[in-house]
Amino acid sequence: MDSLITAAALALASGDALGALKRVALRDDAPALALRGIAMAQLGDLVRAKALSKSAARAFGPREAVARARCVVAEAEIALVSRDLTWPVKALEAARKVLEAHGDRVNAAHAGNVAVRRLVLIGRLDEAEQALGRLDPTPLPPALRAAHELVASGIAVRRLKTEAARAAIDRARLAARQADIPALSAEVETAAHLLDAPAARVISRGDERPLLLGQVEALFSGGTLVVDACRHVVRDAGAVVPLASRPVLFALARTLAEAWPADVARGTLIARAFRGKHADESHRARLRVEIGRLRAALAGLAEVSATKRGFALSPGRAGDIAVLAPLMEGPHGAVLAFLADGEAWSSSALSIALGASPRTVQRALDSLAGEGKVQAIGRGRARRWMSPPLSFFPTILLLPGPLPSD
Amino acid sequence: MKKSAATILREYGPFPNADRVNGVTFDGRHVWFASGDRLNALDPDSGEVVRSIEVASHAGTAFDGEFLYQIAEDVIHKIDPKTGQILSTIPAPGNGGDSGLAWAEGTLWVGQHRGRRIHQIDPETGKILRTIESNRVVTGVTWVDGQLWHGTWEGDDSDVRRIDPETGEVLERLEMPEGTGVSGLESDGADRFFCGGGGSGKLRAISRPQGK
Repeated sequence: MDSLITAAALALASGDALGALKRVALRDDAPALALRGIAMAQLGDLVRAKALSKSAARAFGPREAVARARCVVAEAEIALVSRDLTWPVKALEAARKVLEAHGDRVNAAHAGNVAVRRLVLIGRLDEAEQALGRLDPTPLPPALRAAHELVASGIAVRRLKTEAARAAIDRARLAARQADIPALSAEVETAAHLLDAPAARVISRGDERPLLLGQVEALFSGGTLVVDACRHVVRDAGAVVPLASRPVLFALARTLAEAWPADVARGTLIARAFRGKHADESHRARLRVEIGRLRAALAGLAEVSATKRGFALSPGRAGDIAVLAPLMEGPHGAVLAFLADGEAWSSSALSIALGASPRTVQRALDSLAGEGKVQAIGRGRARRWMSPPLSFFPTILLLPGPLPSD
Repeated sequence: MKKSAATILREYGPFPNADRVNGVTFDGRHVWFASGDRLNALDPDSGEVVRSIEVASHAGTAFDGEFLYQIAEDVIHKIDPKTGQILSTIPAPGNGGDSGLAWAEGTLWVGQHRGRRIHQIDPETGKILRTIESNRVVTGVTWVDGQLWHGTWEGDDSDVRRIDPETGEVLERLEMPEGTGVSGLESDGADRFFCGGGGSGKLRAISRPQGK
């Protein structure tokens, strides 16, 4: 490695992207292209960064397999941050193996981290969790360790494991401080802040209040039957009944739960479940059918009994009933509610879950995307929608050092 | 051309607060190595770093019998090893693509890494006096007994080679073990070469073949 490349790499490692760029701005050899790509990525010009990393990978000679592999990892991280999911995952895995085979444990671990972040991004939490468990963060330098812990905390948050999320955030904070990169520390604090901000509302016995993430977790594990309007499930400590694909049943369950311990008039149930149509005899018949289905779906969790004027919910083994609702229930609240589960939804799946037309769902998604409340990943038929806030991983790039001979 | 495996006599480091070895020289007693933001003096017998000078040190290092020369970014600093003061600065011939520095016959010899060549320059002005082409990346240059040696390192392959200073023809090669790179090269004036190990943070002593 030559003098300016070394100097630029040192600058980059200390978080000084402009300093690195200044040193290699006019050079077009492979290591300079790679460093320029990383610097541009850190400065936010992902399009330029992608092109530079690609040309760097091509410019390294056939003997420089490790340098090439590092460029591939850099490209993958840039693609991830650009939400470009068409980027070939196999190339990343191949690069990781090359790095591992050549004893570059740090960059191999970084490649693994990028792969896990991608799984979190596309909502494959089980796989992400498994892959994360296989990664050993010990050899990672502080910046990459911080990123690793942020991913761990992001998964824990989506799993509602508040303690684990908090512990991971603490480790991330420590590592970010050691790395001494202010932008990274800021990302950790943003993630930490989400743990202390209201995550949802609870409605019970006519009362309504905001809940922190930890309180949501406590609600789920306590002796309460929760009609969860964030995930569209009904749950107690022992069981979860998903109703996301059965919007009428969920609307009935929620209406009954909000009224508990009182009952709900048939007319109200019909209005809430069947979209505001006034009750006639055919609606009453349909209500009876749907209540029968709800009764079957909630068997063991709760009972639905007929009263003089309508129906009432009563908890099975749980002592209490509450509704967990998203913080905001505006016109697109239902879409946000589904996305709050951290999974990646296709618009057609959302339209099934919401019982709304694909056009309505698409309009809602477009308007939410405009407000930055949801994000799309992938293109065409593969496009998926997610809510961004709980997916903790640093948006600053922590690309590997793709230097030639070291 | 003679070809043989390099014999590693001893390995030093990695050293605390020195993640890399970018350049190496020898002042007769201590091996000086460049680690990025300082020059470190190593006692080759004890293996201890006995002192260090805080100065930017991104590539090759040389010693003229009195002063140290150190490549930093795209310049070469002349440094008083006693005080650590930078006495003068000249431009590096490769505009920062420089790697490897040696002192011989009153001039400085500078490796140009991917340029695959070695420049002989005027140590006062930095003016290029002549240029020798190599066919490998240059990662360290040294003169000993009238022989010009340089290190190469591409991917997993690295060697220390003697070239004809007139024609650049490769006369002899000492192949380093796979994965053992050479960044910085200096002879001790006798039967050893000191080789920097780049990002491994190590320094290695290898034996110089005797006889012509």
